[in-house]
Amino acid sequence: MKPFKKVLIANRGEIALRIIRTLREMGIGSVAVYSEADRSSLHVAEADEAVCIGAAPARESYLSINALISAAKLTGASAVHPGYGFLSENAEFSRAVSDAGITFIGPRPEAIAQLGYKSTARALAMEYKVPIVPGTKGCITKDFAKHAQAIGYPIMVKAAAGGGGKGMRIVRDEKSLEHELNMAQSEAKAAFGDGSVYMEKYVEQPRHVEIQIAADTHGNVVAFPERDCSVQRRHQKLIEESPSPAVTPQLRQKLAAAAMRLVKASGYTGVGTVEFLLDKNGNFYFMEVNTRLQVEHPVTEMVSGADLVREQLIIAQGEKLSLSEDTAEKILCHAIEHRINAEDPDHNFAPNPGTVTALNLPGGPGVRIDSHIYQDYMIPSYYDSLIAKLIVWAPTRAAALARSRRALGELNIGGIKTTAPLHMRILDNAEFASGNIDTGFMERFLGAK
Amino acid sequence: MDTNTLTEIAKWLKTTDLAEASYKKDGKGFELRTEEAEVKSNVPSCSLTVVAAPAVGIYHSAAKGKAPSFKEGKAVAADQPMGYVDMAGEKRPVTASAAGTLKIILAEEGRPVEYGQPLFFIEPN
Repeated sequence: MKPFKKVLIANRGEIALRIIRTLREMGIGSVAVYSEADRSSLHVAEADEAVCIGAAPARESYLSINALISAAKLTGASAVHPGYGFLSENAEFSRAVSDAGITFIGPRPEAIAQLGYKSTARALAMEYKVPIVPGTKGCITKDFAKHAQAIGYPIMVKAAAGGGGKGMRIVRDEKSLEHELNMAQSEAKAAFGDGSVYMEKYVEQPRHVEIQIAADTHGNVVAFPERDCSVQRRHQKLIEESPSPAVTPQLRQKLAAAAMRLVKASGYTGVGTVEFLLDKNGNFYFMEVNTRLQVEHPVTEMVSGADLVREQLIIAQGEKLSLSEDTAEKILCHAIEHRINAEDPDHNFAPNPGTVTALNLPGGPGVRIDSHIYQDYMIPSYYDSLIAKLIVWAPTRAAALARSRRALGELNIGGIKTTAPLHMRILDNAEFASGNIDTGFMERFLGAK
Repeated sequence: MDTNTLTEIAKWLKTTDLAEASYKKDGKGFELRTEEAEVKSNVPSCSLTVVAAPAVGIYHSAAKGKAPSFKEGKAVAADQPMGYVDMAGEKRPVTASAAGTLKIILAEEGRPVEYGQPLFFIEPN
């Protein structure tokens, strides 16, 4: 397979910029697509070419398969990178891209359908002796109360077709089942176009630990050191770090082995993440596989020295991974990522689109910013509120925390409310600083204010 | 301030090259502007309405086999079909945005267009 001459990025915002950066370093042409609301977006300015594909609402632009395929054909792109969110885990999109004679930078549609669909991934995990949380064998469409009783309350109703906390509901008893079930199904339908749900036992206050993997088309699979993403609000991650303060070298080996076993068994190719829940006794349970590049991938890039977007392109071009298993599992430092959103943390995280009137970004040793905002940029109201990722790395966790504090202190975004001050307050929290946290941390932290 | 004084000041303002003048002391004063002070927008006003591409794709003026029929100077009706954009197999119709005279044709048969790209300009009735 020949190296790509031109890649179209079917996404926007910071991730589109991220992908353009690696494409540029690899000497590959970049095509940005944008909606009417993103005309002045930085990814449009930075790409080699840009095409307006539709009106502001995502379903008329970034979620329009035909518009994206059309733009790819018009610009002669040889490959499409879907980024994260939007259509990145949509098997129909992956198939449509291939049918158009264009390479989809991601797993094959069958792999997305098998591993990306949470219920079938669970079934595969069961087959390959990867521990899972007790739950239904696949999606269920009836006898909900019976299934819930068999698992034992509290249970979690989850959408099979997506993530990001959408279509997920905790049900603590039978009388709340019907209501929560309806909410989960309709939310899933709205977010992913698919209301299918499955159920599993709700593990109380676990840690969320995930393993980044990369697999090429030559049978090589590598696993990177885990990321701990336990700081979440309503299942949306706020802070991610690597390595996890709760993972010992022995546990790390078990997690990596389980992740690689699952990936090898499914024949998955590309970059992906295997998510686990870790309970207080060091037991881990497979949750799901994210068959795409994730928001928090920079954390792993700093810890391992890898360029994960570059690995995606390498894999998609049919080449061998540029890292060996030994290189991938090396821990070079401790890294932390803070997701900065245009939201008001003091008013229930209400979205705060608007104009960035002032901008000062931190710099210096061990600091990385992945962001598409610039001074005088008007943040559109149509899309998610992530405006910047602040990543720091240092030799130890304590040093990384000090660096986070320093960098957040330098960060100044004027004109809009952001969650940056909230991150500062989290850093001052003793529980977070200790590293002994679980997914219940944010609720406790926000409740205690 | 009395009108005589104001008239004097206005006369004086016109003799200068100032566009506006204002004065205030202890809460009293005046503000005068000449015609030149009107902020002129540097966006030229346009009497034409645009017909923009409703999708990203290839523009076709008519269905296959049918002859296209657009000529500058011809009358167009509101919502009159003016071709379609083939967006990866999906045909998105192009319709006249107003009734009037077709003034400018930018659309080219078989050429790629972006969403929102101007295809025609109509002078509305």
